[in-house]
Amino acid sequence: MQPLPRALGARTRRTLIGAALASAVALAATACSSGATAAGTGSGSGPLTIGISLSLSGDFSDSGKAAQRGYQLWMDDVNQQGGVLGRKIQLKIVDDASNPTQVVSNYTNLINQDHVDLVFGPFSSLLTVPASRVASRYDYAFIEPAGGGPSVFAQKLHNLFFVQPAPTTSGGLVFANYILSLPAAERPKTAAYVKLDDPFSAPIADLVKAKLEAAGIKTVYDKTYEAETADMTPIIAGVAAANPDVIVGGSQEADAFAQIKAMIQLHVNPKFLFEANGPNSPADFPPAVGTANTEDVFSSIDWYPGSTQAGSAAFIHSYLKKYGGTENQIDPTSAEAYSAGMLVDEVAKKTGKVDNQTIIDTLHSGAWPTLVGDLSWDASGAPQGEYKLVQWMGGKIQTVFPATGAQHAPVAPKRPWSGQ
Amino acid sequence: MHALIQAIILGILTGGVYALMASGQTMIFGIMKVVNLAQGALIMLGAYLTYSLFTGFGIDPFVSLLITTPLLFLLGVGLQWALLRPLHGDDVAQLSLLVTFAIALGVEGVLSFVYGATLTNIQPGYANDSWTMFGFQISVVRFWAFMISIVLLLALGALLKRTKFGRSVRATVQNPTSAELLGVNARRVSAIGFGLGSATAAAGGAVFGMLNSFNPGSHYDLISKLLTVVILGGLGSIGGAIYAAVIMGVISSVVAAVASPIWSDFAFFIVLLLVLLVRPQGLFGAKTRGAL
Amino acid sequence: MKSLVSPAGALRAGIFFAILIAIPLVGGPSWLLNMLIFTVMYAALSSSWNIVGGYAGYPSLGHAAFFGIGAYAVGITFSKSVGAGYSPFWSLPVIGLAVALIAVPVGWISMRTRQDVFAIVTITILFIAQTLAFNLNGLTGGAQGTSVAAPPFPAGTYDWPFYFAMVVILAVTMLISHLISNSKFGLALLTVRADEDKAQGIGVRVTGVKVSAFALSAGMVAMVGGIWAYYVGFIYPQFAVDPLITIGIVLMTFLGGKGTLWGPVLGAFILVPAQEYFAQAFGASELYLLAYALVFIVIMLFLPRGIIPSIAMARHRRWQRLAGEAGSTVPAAGGTSTDAMDPTATMTEGTR
Repeated sequence: MQPLPRALGARTRRTLIGAALASAVALAATACSSGATAAGTGSGSGPLTIGISLSLSGDFSDSGKAAQRGYQLWMDDVNQQGGVLGRKIQLKIVDDASNPTQVVSNYTNLINQDHVDLVFGPFSSLLTVPASRVASRYDYAFIEPAGGGPSVFAQKLHNLFFVQPAPTTSGGLVFANYILSLPAAERPKTAAYVKLDDPFSAPIADLVKAKLEAAGIKTVYDKTYEAETADMTPIIAGVAAANPDVIVGGSQEADAFAQIKAMIQLHVNPKFLFEANGPNSPADFPPAVGTANTEDVFSSIDWYPGSTQAGSAAFIHSYLKKYGGTENQIDPTSAEAYSAGMLVDEVAKKTGKVDNQTIIDTLHSGAWPTLVGDLSWDASGAPQGEYKLVQWMGGKIQTVFPATGAQHAPVAPKRPWSGQ
Repeated sequence: MHALIQAIILGILTGGVYALMASGQTMIFGIMKVVNLAQGALIMLGAYLTYSLFTGFGIDPFVSLLITTPLLFLLGVGLQWALLRPLHGDDVAQLSLLVTFAIALGVEGVLSFVYGATLTNIQPGYANDSWTMFGFQISVVRFWAFMISIVLLLALGALLKRTKFGRSVRATVQNPTSAELLGVNARRVSAIGFGLGSATAAAGGAVFGMLNSFNPGSHYDLISKLLTVVILGGLGSIGGAIYAAVIMGVISSVVAAVASPIWSDFAFFIVLLLVLLVRPQGLFGAKTRGAL
Repeated sequence: MKSLVSPAGALRAGIFFAILIAIPLVGGPSWLLNMLIFTVMYAALSSSWNIVGGYAGYPSLGHAAFFGIGAYAVGITFSKSVGAGYSPFWSLPVIGLAVALIAVPVGWISMRTRQDVFAIVTITILFIAQTLAFNLNGLTGGAQGTSVAAPPFPAGTYDWPFYFAMVVILAVTMLISHLISNSKFGLALLTVRADEDKAQGIGVRVTGVKVSAFALSAGMVAMVGGIWAYYVGFIYPQFAVDPLITIGIVLMTFLGGKGTLWGPVLGAFILVPAQEYFAQAFGASELYLLAYALVFIVIMLFLPRGIIPSIAMARHRRWQRLAGEAGSTVPAAGGTSTDAMDPTATMTEGTR
């Protein structure tokens, strides 16, 4: 009996299927590319499309969503006024899942496949760096509200504009200036630096350390901990052993809270306590450590609900109308995103044009008012302003330094934790 | 010196909590030869449930154990029955590994959807209180978490030594084929074993949530620690897991306090690799034919 | 006398690579190339993983560590300048070789354990590599990351060099995979997978074979990592040494068919575009993790052998049925596919 016809038929079949699949992909691709319409180039008519990759899922998703709210609020406000140069704004927002590889794909697609007119930056320095390279390659202006670490500016990209008052490392600078402004008798003698290992937090503390050491304040503890360290108590135990006068935390929100909780548990009471982030969140800080324990803690901020910057009250009003809640729950990232939009609007009003080259050329001179301050940039996109130092008093944030424009004089030394 | 002893105290207290979480993991492996990559995610689920019960109904986290533990037990049994039992073939071990990882992803996905990515923690009023003893601070929460872990571990131990079910489990761990020949219902043992493992996750989650900030993505870090503890102790050995957890707690804590925090986990990994060089089966693992 | 490459197999490979190479040349758009770069990348990674995870049966869950090492090797060497832009590509074979050598002692230590413990030990190695990437600040830039100098490629054809480099690496890995599966080395790996103690008993040099497979696989993965680093331009420790990369690789290999030549490639070509599509279309939800998990579970429960072996098995059963009706003998299952490493071939005593 003959064995059945063998695999040759099947092999050929599989080969043909494989070839067909691959050809189908190629055909679909060329079809898609020829079918894609070239959207406006900024000087045409029709809607003005702005492409943005945001972290809508993954680690940065809360901030990503806050940015999304800010952008959409700006879009609604501007479209109500007739749009930019008569063109309605359309936002194309895609998710990068807080992943740099995805962010590269996203901006490549936004620019090359969707042909958006403009782009805004993603969330965090981590994602901003790879994204800004893509934008630079295609000569797009890169206005970005959330990437301010040193690595961003080290790229020396001329098309980049960071929408905050200063590079994020300067968040600590204002605290260092405050300490150095004190008369020698009141200054701390020893300092501890407790730093989160990421592109923006540790550099903040390092900058403070450089300034304080130069003035003779001795460093008795300087250690870094990794991101997602769940348990800060051993680290704070080490800090306590060094007995510092001032503790400077180069931190993000969650670990700042963890640091403070560990300090409370271990009865660590420094004379000055500064955290780069965490205590600058009016909504999250009191519940995290208890309102009584917020007293006298320093942090720095660009926008907060009590800000007297022009346009801030109107922003809060629109925001609450669209999204509800209370003003303390507004994440500053939304204000920063809104400010990015404001810049586009202002360039359009000033020059009558809104293409990428005009934006890049125009923003590099003059000061531009936004919710986070009047901004101006150097050639690498670093803003040349200053953050404000804030301190908690009576359960609220008050700006305390620099003295001009401060709501209250700073209080020192810090009182011990509640009940200690 | 003070810092060193304070660190050792902290390490022991933390180690107790990890011992509880790791015990479920090692038991599941012992019974089913399945590396449960979902243990970390189940612990997060336990943490979030405790959080919701606390913020929604004001139930104290230690008290809510009475609710969360049975809930997760049932979930564990259900997962095992639905997703692990149907696996067949030569690659059951690998497939189970991947399925439990899929479960972890699924749990993470659901938790992200429901709770978002913000770091949360469970903050009962006594969260930051601590006692001072001989000049050392002992956090109230940490102390009680340690005590609960010890109590639950003792209970688990009693279950395994004194009850009929426990004997079935130990028989299955030693030699599944013989156990079945002797009338042990392997399927039931597996299902209940997985349920128990998940129940310990609930308890572990409650205490973990009080001590640390967490979000749905925290399970990766957690599972890597648990796996190293379990391997160091020897897969299948609960006593081993307890020793290894305490060792891990102390090493990490001391390195963090005295040397440098960024190397604290690393030190532990290196210890693991060194032990594996000498004893591939871990400190207390059995040198059985096949997987170990 | 069985020739090394069957005509149908060569035809298949030829058409596949011809199409891949043609796509940019006939005007495939930049976004497609971008997606294909990552697709081919994962296909190459999965193919390499398959050598140690599929053929040898040692599921390394830490392979992303070698990916990261390759990425950092390129990142550190070329952080200042890349000359005309092609030097990183020429450096890849050197990197691959170096990493393969590093992988030898790593493999030797970790392969002292068996399947399950091995999986966990490799996870530990992954986290060790990640910690080193974070902590060796002076070398890797630590959490601040490290950048690769931007190449002076023209914007219009920017993606081409990276794309072709990935295609070349894919061809190399598939060639090596094919050569292994048709060689004595491959047979030795098969016996190790089936029953290591027995293999040792009959004289197979088990340790040498295992560790070679591991090192070979690691070297190739490192080369892919190098191209990736160059393309993305900026690498951070948690993304260069990322457990999710390993999971993706394993999932794709299992989907397509572990232990086959085309299985991992097929798996990558299905999952990567699907994932990009979901990211673009469904953007905002956290549900993508849930979707991933469901895909995983569906594959494990219904297609545990992967697509290609399942098709082969279904065909074989159909022939068996037909042959049973005609009363004739049926060729053995192992002969129906072109891959000697076909897992549908009866392999007894795969118990552990």
